[in-house]
Amino acid sequence: MSRVLDVVGLTKDYPKFKLDEVTFSVEKGSIMGLIGRNGAGKTTTIKAILNLTHRSSGKICYFGMPLEGHENEIKQRIGYTAGAVDYYKKKKIRDILAITKGFYSAWDESAWQRFMRQFELDEDKSPSQLSEGMKVKLNLAMALSHGAEILILDEPTSGLDPISRDELLDIFRMLAREGTAILFSTHIISDLDKCADEITYIQRGRVAATGKKQAWLEQCRRKGYGDNLEEIMIHLEKEARYEAFAGERV
Amino acid sequence: MKHLLVKECKLAASPLSYLFLAFALMTLIPGYPILMGSFFICFGLFHSLQSARENNDLLFTILLPVSKAEVVKAKFAFAVLIQLSAFLLCLLLTLLRVTLLKGAGVYTGNAMMNANQAFLAYQLLIFALCNRLLYTGFFRTGYGFTRPFLAFGIAAFAVIAVTEALHHVPGLAWLNATDTMHDGAQWLILAMGLLVYLLVTFCACRRAVRLFEKVDL
Repeated sequence: MSRVLDVVGLTKDYPKFKLDEVTFSVEKGSIMGLIGRNGAGKTTTIKAILNLTHRSSGKICYFGMPLEGHENEIKQRIGYTAGAVDYYKKKKIRDILAITKGFYSAWDESAWQRFMRQFELDEDKSPSQLSEGMKVKLNLAMALSHGAEILILDEPTSGLDPISRDELLDIFRMLAREGTAILFSTHIISDLDKCADEITYIQRGRVAATGKKQAWLEQCRRKGYGDNLEEIMIHLEKEARYEAFAGERV
Repeated sequence: MKHLLVKECKLAASPLSYLFLAFALMTLIPGYPILMGSFFICFGLFHSLQSARENNDLLFTILLPVSKAEVVKAKFAFAVLIQLSAFLLCLLLTLLRVTLLKGAGVYTGNAMMNANQAFLAYQLLIFALCNRLLYTGFFRTGYGFTRPFLAFGIAAFAVIAVTEALHHVPGLAWLNATDTMHDGAQWLILAMGLLVYLLVTFCACRRAVRLFEKVDL
């Protein structure tokens, strides 16, 4: 499979937090789960790879092109959505769309119509009239209609009921089958148990593990860390806390 | 840039930015500090910044295939569009006052500022301050506009107070003349006002681009 996103040595220094040498890659048609507890650095990582936040060092490449110097070209081919964010709450979707599509050279109107039907969205509604799940679907429909080859999703299932979450996970699986790469940050680990192919686990700003989910799960099971992602993560977090505590005492 | 400006006008702007253009009509009010209209027009622009923040406009725009610099330039372009529309309205009303209405009693006996070319130059000065203090200040953080607006408000009221007092200074009464259509000095002041506006706005935009480049969203 070809690589869609490469993150190498991504570092961001804050006065009280450091995202330290984060390295991972996402392949075409795969779902990469970015996991970690609150404050581990998931959102900082996502913001840095979207160039919303300046990185202290490191390299980010999409489709083999470095982000620097190719930002507009890359943005034509990526999509982003965050669960809690909605844009132009009181404007009709039709009006938001009319403006948005003008920015994308590969905008596909028939795909937009298809996603509107598939996601049961109404163009005459405004984002403020949509449920949280529908807002995520709206952002997905917009991203997919401009031909996004990678979707970067920051906590897209936060605040959703279990049925809406399950519905979205089905959509992610369908998109991955069609070749879209998905980078999906969440602290709802059970979501990734259901749909992720690969995992990048961030712990206190550092990558604790990255690679195929199944292989990592097997490895952790053999070590007796737990049977599923959630148990394994809790085990590893506790271990890290004890180590930090022991380090402080020494 | 065309798409971005359309986005500014149709999605990001507050309706108040357009409605407050009606404050240009204050140009016709006698016995009133008519320069206040310029402050209110900028207050309409402040509402657009507020609306943009509430609607996550900057995040939405930055994720489009455009650069950060273009995002800033589009916001300035919108401000200039509103300001020049207001200026055009005020120019027409001022021309009415210095031609057809130049002898009207309410204006010849007006103790406050009259609408003439100097008034238009002062208006451009207030617009320039809006761009430099409010807009550039906003792009320092990408979300904070309270301090920039306060700074602009203080500066704008200082300009209004000084310019209202200026024509009472001995020798400067000509600044408040009503029949100024053929007054070369008045036209010169307007040309200087336009030059200052364009220069300050250009520099403010460049500085805002530099500041916004450093912002982590």
